[in-house]
Amino acid sequence: MASPGKNPEKNNVWLQIAKYSQLAFIFPAATVAGWLIGVGLDHWLHTTWLYLVGLILGIVAGFVELIRMVSGSDSE
Amino acid sequence: MPEQLWFTEILNRMFAGPVTGLLRALHIEPQYPQAPVTNAVSMQVLVFLFLVVLFALVRSRLSVDKPGALQHVFEGIHGFIVGQSEEIIGHHSEGFTPFLVALACFILTCNLIGLIPGFESPTAVPVVPLGCAVTAFIYYQTQGFKHHGIAYLKHFAGPMWWLAPIMLPIEIISHVARMLSLTVRLFANMFAGDMVTLVFFSLVPVGVPILFLGLHIGVSFLQTYIFILLTTVYLAGAVAEEH
Repeated sequence: MASPGKNPEKNNVWLQIAKYSQLAFIFPAATVAGWLIGVGLDHWLHTTWLYLVGLILGIVAGFVELIRMVSGSDSE
Repeated sequence: MPEQLWFTEILNRMFAGPVTGLLRALHIEPQYPQAPVTNAVSMQVLVFLFLVVLFALVRSRLSVDKPGALQHVFEGIHGFIVGQSEEIIGHHSEGFTPFLVALACFILTCNLIGLIPGFESPTAVPVVPLGCAVTAFIYYQTQGFKHHGIAYLKHFAGPMWWLAPIMLPIEIISHVARMLSLTVRLFANMFAGDMVTLVFFSLVPVGVPILFLGLHIGVSFLQTYIFILLTTVYLAGAVAEEH
């Protein structure tokens, strides 16, 4: 990221708009992504329950991304 | 047979045989073997050819003493993306500029081409934004591995080692979700822009659609900007030094 002491996100309004507009998309996107991965794994491994695990993990992933974005911390 | 734009018709007349043959070799049966090239594909080919010719033209007319209008425009685009990348990624961001500028020009041209009668925005078809999002995803993951080597995998393991088995699937899903959200945002905005213009054109064919065409132009620029900005943010996350 940028050099220490300088927070570009505070100065760039457009960057903030883009990141916060992401809030509306990331939660449903994570839920659908988790479900799709689960369905794919079910299809591949001939199981019937992995879609549920994918769905739950997707919801959790959505919350994790949401909290990460709102708190402004980036674990990466 | 599907409704074809004039350029799609030309491509299908010229390449229907080889394209159908190629698809069948890949075990894909095209819905219309006489017209396997869709409008979205033909518009992308057109945008690609247009950009190649445009860049070749700019390259052939580069001048330090007397820069032309086109050179000014492209220097502006390049300068804007360099500035933005440096602000978000840091000083080692120059290497990412060619990819970001190419992606921005492609998406913007795809968004705007629909305003010309006889053409369609390929970004209003879900597979095209998905293709752009998959390209961005592969690029930032590749840069992450290139920058950190195998240690990049630690990004997916979470802050503590014992959390890794839970964090790994969550991180994978959240990276796939980024791709999905980029796709849905661009597709939905371009599709809605097209629909609104079309609906108002059918209701009031004079004057009013111009407002919505103006709105469509604004949305085209804004969505291109957001797509590139988020790709830059993801790139910054992938190549960041601190964890």
